[in-house]
Amino acid sequence: MKNNLLTSAALILLAFFYAGSVKGQDLDSLMEKSVKPQTVYATATFKSTRVVNGHSVERMKKNQLEFRVSHRFGEFNTGSYNFWGLDQGTIHLALEYGITDWLEAGIGRSTYEKTADAFAKVSLLRQSSGAKNMPIHLSYLASTEIIGINYNQAMQQNFSSRMSFIQQIMIARKFNESLSLQLTPTFIHRNLVPQEVEKNDLFSVGVGGRYKLSKRIALNVEYFYVYRGNENAINQSVPTPTKYYNPLSVGIDIETGGHVFQIMVTNAQAMREGGFIGKTTGSWGGGGIHLGFNISRVFSFSK
Amino acid sequence: MNKLILIFALSFLYFAAGAQNVFITKDAKINFNSSTPLEDIVAESNQATTVIDIEKNVVKFSVLTTSFKFRRALMEEHFNENYMESPKFPKASFTGKIVSVVDWKSDKAVNAEIKGTLTMHGVSNEVSLKAVITPGKNKISASAELKVTPEAYHIAIPSAVRDKIAKEVTIKIEAIYAPLQ
Repeated sequence: MKNNLLTSAALILLAFFYAGSVKGQDLDSLMEKSVKPQTVYATATFKSTRVVNGHSVERMKKNQLEFRVSHRFGEFNTGSYNFWGLDQGTIHLALEYGITDWLEAGIGRSTYEKTADAFAKVSLLRQSSGAKNMPIHLSYLASTEIIGINYNQAMQQNFSSRMSFIQQIMIARKFNESLSLQLTPTFIHRNLVPQEVEKNDLFSVGVGGRYKLSKRIALNVEYFYVYRGNENAINQSVPTPTKYYNPLSVGIDIETGGHVFQIMVTNAQAMREGGFIGKTTGSWGGGGIHLGFNISRVFSFSK
Repeated sequence: MNKLILIFALSFLYFAAGAQNVFITKDAKINFNSSTPLEDIVAESNQATTVIDIEKNVVKFSVLTTSFKFRRALMEEHFNENYMESPKFPKASFTGKIVSVVDWKSDKAVNAEIKGTLTMHGVSNEVSLKAVITPGKNKISASAELKVTPEAYHIAIPSAVRDKIAKEVTIKIEAIYAPLQ
């Protein structure tokens, strides 16, 4: 009997504590608990879909259209007659559209070798934390360029000699609010190259980064190492050799509402992969650098 | 022994019944509008968590700022990156007291005033909101509206876009609460 009493007292106490834990529960912790753990994606790893010349992991989101105007002045070392390059200009126009949040497609046209291009960029992994943890962004770019400039007779025989194909993987991480870095292995196949010693297949690795100077201004740096073997050395025997350099670009992103304005200094004249990775002839050492800018305007077609 | 179980069950029921004063929802709607003739700026989240304690007349609200959806993806990005600084201040929250008298046993809609603290972008301010509350035994519906200025929450707006964003932002809240299980 005594035992029974004790047990019942214990049970009542237990019931009291159990129910009491619900009743007296702090409303704040109640709310904490009722919210499912969320996945937080790292957004705005770069301000623009380009680091400087090359693609960044960023894309247009679904139903967003970007109109890009890119412009590079001439080489600085062309002197006062050419107003240090400002007399010349190379332009690239592009329309780029987000088909879904993870797939972007674009077309472009450049005055550089009268090149037309089309590309698709797919986001395969997105950096996230919380419920789902992913340390990096991973995107893939496939692009085709078609050179439109008049070739000499022999080369004009077939259309395919004008084509180049670009495959690119972009691996990026937003380390913190200010710093993002990207590694960009690239493979370019050119159906026809300007000089015999040049390789049709080019391997390149790009490194890029951005550092936010303020909420709306960021400093971007981008470098592509291009593997050419001993191409430049062999080329010395050619009467008028074309020497190629690795493109290095330093730029500032300025963001104002629906516009992103990028201003940069680069030794690359072209604004497409086949051009700036494959055919950069300017050198920083020799003053073969270009002042340039990209302007981006985004239009939304979502309801 | 049967008696013991009965005592246990009864006392559990008695104590547990007290939880009926708390109502909750995890999918309350919050939208805000800071449109100007130059730009439509509207966004909505339907992932706000809110509780209401009808015994203490206390209301609490919490929403992740990244859950707000905009029509323009870029606007959403700027909202989180530049204005709300969501990575630094992920939540906006409100804790308030219903100062008007609400008869929780009735099921008629009443106008009520709620006074409390609104915290967002790491800044807390005292606010007062006008609400319409419809009590019920198994369901409480509520809607509320308030106006805030970005400046009060230390949200800087650059002069280049100052004319495109309303000086005063209207926030509307809609919630249907169910008893806490």
